[in-house]
Amino acid sequence: MDIEFLFRKKNIFFLFIVAGISAIMFSYFILNERSDWIPSQLIELARNPELLKRPPAKTCSECHEAIYSSWKKSRHSLAWISEFYVEDSENHSKEKCLPCHIPQSVDPGEKPEPRIENRDDGVYCVSCHLKDGEMRGPYDLFSPSHPTREVGEFRKSVFCGSCHEKTYKEWQATDWDRSCQSCHMPRKMGRLTQKFPLSYLHRKRQVADHSFPHGEIRPDDILMDFKFIKNKAKLSLTNKNVFHDLPTADNGDPRLYAYISFFNSAGEELSSEKEIIAPQKETALPWNKAVVYNYFLSKGTVKAQVRLSYKPAWSKEKTELVVREFQVKG
Amino acid sequence: MKTKSFSSIACFILILAGLLASPVSAKDVVIKEPPKSLDKLYPPASKKPEWIGVMHKMSGHYGGVFMNMKQKDWANVEKHGLGLAETYEKASKLVPEWEEYFDLKAAKDFVKAVKSRDPKAIGKASKPIGKTCGKCHDDNLAAVWTKYHWPSVEHMKLEDPVDEKEMEYGDYMWLLSKSFKGVTVNFGDGKKDLAMKAVKSFKKRYMELKSTCSKCHTNPAVKQFFVGEPVAEAFDAMVAELAKDKPNPGTVWKNVGTVGKLGCKKCHLTHRSYAIYQEIWEEHAEK
Repeated sequence: MDIEFLFRKKNIFFLFIVAGISAIMFSYFILNERSDWIPSQLIELARNPELLKRPPAKTCSECHEAIYSSWKKSRHSLAWISEFYVEDSENHSKEKCLPCHIPQSVDPGEKPEPRIENRDDGVYCVSCHLKDGEMRGPYDLFSPSHPTREVGEFRKSVFCGSCHEKTYKEWQATDWDRSCQSCHMPRKMGRLTQKFPLSYLHRKRQVADHSFPHGEIRPDDILMDFKFIKNKAKLSLTNKNVFHDLPTADNGDPRLYAYISFFNSAGEELSSEKEIIAPQKETALPWNKAVVYNYFLSKGTVKAQVRLSYKPAWSKEKTELVVREFQVKG
Repeated sequence: MKTKSFSSIACFILILAGLLASPVSAKDVVIKEPPKSLDKLYPPASKKPEWIGVMHKMSGHYGGVFMNMKQKDWANVEKHGLGLAETYEKASKLVPEWEEYFDLKAAKDFVKAVKSRDPKAIGKASKPIGKTCGKCHDDNLAAVWTKYHWPSVEHMKLEDPVDEKEMEYGDYMWLLSKSFKGVTVNFGDGKKDLAMKAVKSFKKRYMELKSTCSKCHTNPAVKQFFVGEPVAEAFDAMVAELAKDKPNPGTVWKNVGTVGKLGCKKCHLTHRSYAIYQEIWEEHAEK
């Protein structure tokens, strides 16, 4: 009797497990493959209309925690509150800065309008993803909480070009066929949401890095050549690996500094020169095109030293990139 | 009697002298800082310059009444008349400090005149409204443009390319002026080598100004207008001339003039007056 009862109980337990696994698998299948089978009344029940009312970024983090965390590390999240921006814009008073520092909605290739709400979030989730009552992105997928729409431009440079107009044009002038996103939003497999259990009902996808890494300038990105010709010297710098001007910015002021010192045989500095390479001075290095600087040499010059340093737009600190020395031949 | 007339004349002369010496006469322009409540109608508090939008709307309706009246298009005359009265009333409430400039009765009378379709009556009724516009513009237009349409450059920071120190715009201008005098005074006094040294620093500092244009302007053509190729070429010519054993003074001064006329003067003509008014307001606020 007891054995029979236990057997029945075990069967029921087993049945529950099988039913549970089947339900999960079925839900997984429905959500990922046949979301059109879900009755619209059921979808409406799951919808959160607040998400379509231009919520702050923190609200999005309730489901998209990983993307939110990486966006928080980005310059986009600081677009309105960065001390450099606040200073340069005379406490936000410069009208021309507003569209790209607090964009309402980014339409590929169009300059955005500025917004009033959630300004401290800068360039945030809603600016790029919410339009016409839908969350737009690079995937065709189903989300219970809000309507979604796949928009191909999310993978194209033209999307970034809405604000990064100059950089976009510089990139267009190169023969590089990979998009801005391929370098500045590298993708890796992961989940779009981190809200249990829903996040596990969506399959893993390539998730773009929303910290928008800008990449460090490596010494081999700039080809340096130095020639001594009689009483003159020629320094040539070529941006070899960065597929836009180096440095680049529409209105920010990142700078490369080239310090050139000339020495005699006793190692004493005879003279020095400096080049400031910056987009706002219209002296940035275009891709794959040598920029040449000419100098007069003092008598007795036997050696030149070139030091390259970099200062991003959002820092007052310089980082030394490379130091090279060149000897006068013969 | 004589004493009385003498004292009357003396009083008259004193009053007249007082009036003539008074700081404000009919020809004076007073640029008073606009009221704070206007802030909310301009960026960054609003998305767009809303106040000027309202002004354009009123101006459009005002013009629309008379243009359509000429064409005897009375339906549109009425449309614009009503539009003007409505926008006029709206404008009167936007800046409480300026409420008294507006004559709402005159606006209502204007609508009545428009509805009468009598050109004479419309012309007559438009005058009091036009006067209110003129009075407010006389008192405030230049001040509003100075405050809201010309971003302040006072605290803009830029880096001295010579010693890499960061400084505010005003201080940088003093430094630039000092470098300029280093060229002109030294060359004028026959100190060629010092002038040569000064021109190198002056050129670096001058060309650095390119980086400041983009702090307010998004159009790169602005840089070319103020710090363009002709200025760069004039600098190069100046350096080349000073490098000679016997520089030609005519060539040096000609290029100094080019830099002054095509760069300094153009920028000062465009920006300096507004910057002066803003500086005065700021100094006043600090006191």
